[in-house]
Amino acid sequence: MTADNRFEFVKMDETASEHIAAPRYSYWRSVFRKFFSSKVVILMLVIALAITLFSFIQPLFSKFDPTVAQDILDRSKRFLPPSLEYPFGTDHVGTNMFDAVWASCGNSLSIALIATAITTVLGVIVGAFWGFSKKLDKIMIEVYNVVANIPFTLVVMVLMYVIGRGKWQLIFALSCTSWLSTAYFIRVQVMIIRDREYNLASKCLGTKTSTIISHNIMPYLISIIVTSIARDIPNFISYEVFLSFIGVGLDYREPSLGRMVQDYVGYMQTPSAAHLFWIPVCLCALISISLYIVGQALADASDPRTHMI
Amino acid sequence: MKKYILGRVFRAIIAVFVVTSIAILMVYTMIPKDNVFRDDTGQMSKLNGNPDGMADFKNNKWEQLGYLDFQRQAEMCQSSSDYNACMLIEEEPYVDEYGQDMVEYHYSDVAQEVIDQYTADGYTVSYYTKGGFYAVREYSGLEIIANFYKNFIDIDHPWKVEDPDNPEMERSVYFATDYNGVPAIKCSGCEHNYLLYFDGSFPFIHQNFIGIDFGSSYPTYQNSSTLDVINQNQGSLVSEERTLPNGNTAKTAENYHTCVYKQTSALDSRDLNKFPDNYATCKTYYQDPSMVTISYMFGIISLILAYLIAIPAGVSMARNKGKIQDKIGTVYINIMISLPSLAFIYFMKLIGFNFGLPDKFPIFGFNDLRSYILPVIILALLSTSSVMIWMRRYMVDQSNADYVKFARAKGLSQREIFRKHILKNAIIPIVNGIPSSIILCISGSVITETVFAVPGMGKMLPDAINSFNNNMVITLTFIFTGLSIFSILIGDLLMTVVDPRIQLTAKGGND
Repeated sequence: MTADNRFEFVKMDETASEHIAAPRYSYWRSVFRKFFSSKVVILMLVIALAITLFSFIQPLFSKFDPTVAQDILDRSKRFLPPSLEYPFGTDHVGTNMFDAVWASCGNSLSIALIATAITTVLGVIVGAFWGFSKKLDKIMIEVYNVVANIPFTLVVMVLMYVIGRGKWQLIFALSCTSWLSTAYFIRVQVMIIRDREYNLASKCLGTKTSTIISHNIMPYLISIIVTSIARDIPNFISYEVFLSFIGVGLDYREPSLGRMVQDYVGYMQTPSAAHLFWIPVCLCALISISLYIVGQALADASDPRTHMI
Repeated sequence: MKKYILGRVFRAIIAVFVVTSIAILMVYTMIPKDNVFRDDTGQMSKLNGNPDGMADFKNNKWEQLGYLDFQRQAEMCQSSSDYNACMLIEEEPYVDEYGQDMVEYHYSDVAQEVIDQYTADGYTVSYYTKGGFYAVREYSGLEIIANFYKNFIDIDHPWKVEDPDNPEMERSVYFATDYNGVPAIKCSGCEHNYLLYFDGSFPFIHQNFIGIDFGSSYPTYQNSSTLDVINQNQGSLVSEERTLPNGNTAKTAENYHTCVYKQTSALDSRDLNKFPDNYATCKTYYQDPSMVTISYMFGIISLILAYLIAIPAGVSMARNKGKIQDKIGTVYINIMISLPSLAFIYFMKLIGFNFGLPDKFPIFGFNDLRSYILPVIILALLSTSSVMIWMRRYMVDQSNADYVKFARAKGLSQREIFRKHILKNAIIPIVNGIPSSIILCISGSVITETVFAVPGMGKMLPDAINSFNNNMVITLTFIFTGLSIFSILIGDLLMTVVDPRIQLTAKGGND
């Protein structure tokens, strides 16, 4: 009996010898770890989520309709200061401002979200084909050169003038040409990423095209898409507010932050009613700042280059 | 390079016309044409209860605006074999079932032939309630566009004026001195009296050989062309002692350089007194600058202020990357980008109001410096963030370049490297944006001008849209599109001048 008896032979594992030791990496886990590492971003996320949820849920209960002013004859309900019953006070026709503000905010937000969704989906699909096809590129680049040079404000205002006012018209006007710049953005990135050496290497090693797309290309594109979404949502909110304010956006039948700002601008310097004007303005500022910062942080976090430790 | 520039200019012109044509097509075919009268309440209430007058006025206006071809009975009968028989209307009184006296109108066979002919040509023939008929035919989209460009470029020549009451008018272009004794090129028989003249207002040399005609403005600023509305001075008239064209002096506000031909039948005794010839319709001097000038003034001053703030701020952020200056700057940029500009303008307005600045431009008007402070500061701050963000980015990118490392190795100070080496390279992309910022100042800023009630160009588009002023919308579309497309071209060309390494053509600079 030798000392060797204390050992036993291990069967050789063919697969283990092929395995290359690398730290475990999950794309989405890294994204979330990076995203939640900043306290400011978490605060902004909470604010953005709270405002968004509240402005979509509260109107379901209040059923606010800007064309109905049931307390218009009740003088005692005019210009009430903020109280428990009326958290944001009442205006010159006795409208409960709390209901009005949240309904407006929900409407403005939904316009921005739908317009962003249309712009992103259309932009990404067209941009991906645009980046891959040389024939399409020749036509699209001419179209892009013309459209990108026209001031966006002009496009939106003339379109709104022609197709009339309303929520869906506004969404159409906002997304009518803006998808083209998203598509261009994607096209450039697809062209850059497509011909990178590591993609060529993967291809040579026999990786399937679907795996190349999902593992090599998508992570880069996701951060780019998120960047463009982060830019679009606050932009569209600003545009809705701006267009409704100058009287080209929504009309009186639809509640919106821009219309509220326009309706109450006269009270800006009236000390007893200034809150009528400043609440929608501040809400609109708060929501677009929080969404912008959350979007920027998410875009940074979803860029795989920031995941290196 | 020349070929490239020509190609781009050609494509830019095509692009401007394509965009304008699409705008014309959309505005004329998709907006109900009755909308143009919505703001002309004066005329509408005057014609209320007079259906014939209303139909006449509306069709006449639509024909002027280019919607349709309107033929009155007299014009229709010109094509008939017997004009008098065609114009004849027989009245036959009768009493209807309610006992009301009514009149039935009968038209001759010749008239009926003309009506059938017009109906066959695609016209809709209608009858006035008080007797008589007219025909209208709406233009198709292509015809509307063709008609718009047909009159687009307006060349003035001595055979332009047609005046049956003045058959012996001399038709010639000649050198002369104007009523002040300054040399000018005058014309007899042209639309304008002075084809080329000098005066004291910008741009000092003025010409009337070629004009661009966008049509007239309606329903706001009636009876003047859309270009005049944005170009002409505003406010109250300036009456001064001036020399009249016939040599006398009088206190008047008319600018005799701008006089155009007036038909002899329209001349009144005052015109005959003042003017030796038929050039008697003149523009007048106004006190306040035009919309373009105002927007341009605001734009340029705020642009200079913006660059004065943003370039040093961006440089200092790049120099102190990661330090407190950089962090404050980043917070500022993030807020400026994400904050809706409407909210920002109102926050600034509140702050300014507490310092005693006016919250509306017309409170103190054009001649008071206080009217300008707040809008200029707001416009400047609004455009700082984008310049700052790019300035910082370019400088940070450049600071890792080899030539910077070499300069540091030579022992140059950090300050010297940043000011003399990096700034010069980093400012090149900024230069690209300068021409478009300067040129686009003309288009003004919509929100700031609306909030402060500044009478400038920016307010014009929303105003035109809200009053259904179609021609104005098309004019502004043309101007804004043209300006932005050409300013981007100029920006690209300027970049190649500043940095000769940049080639716009793909092959390299052999051509």
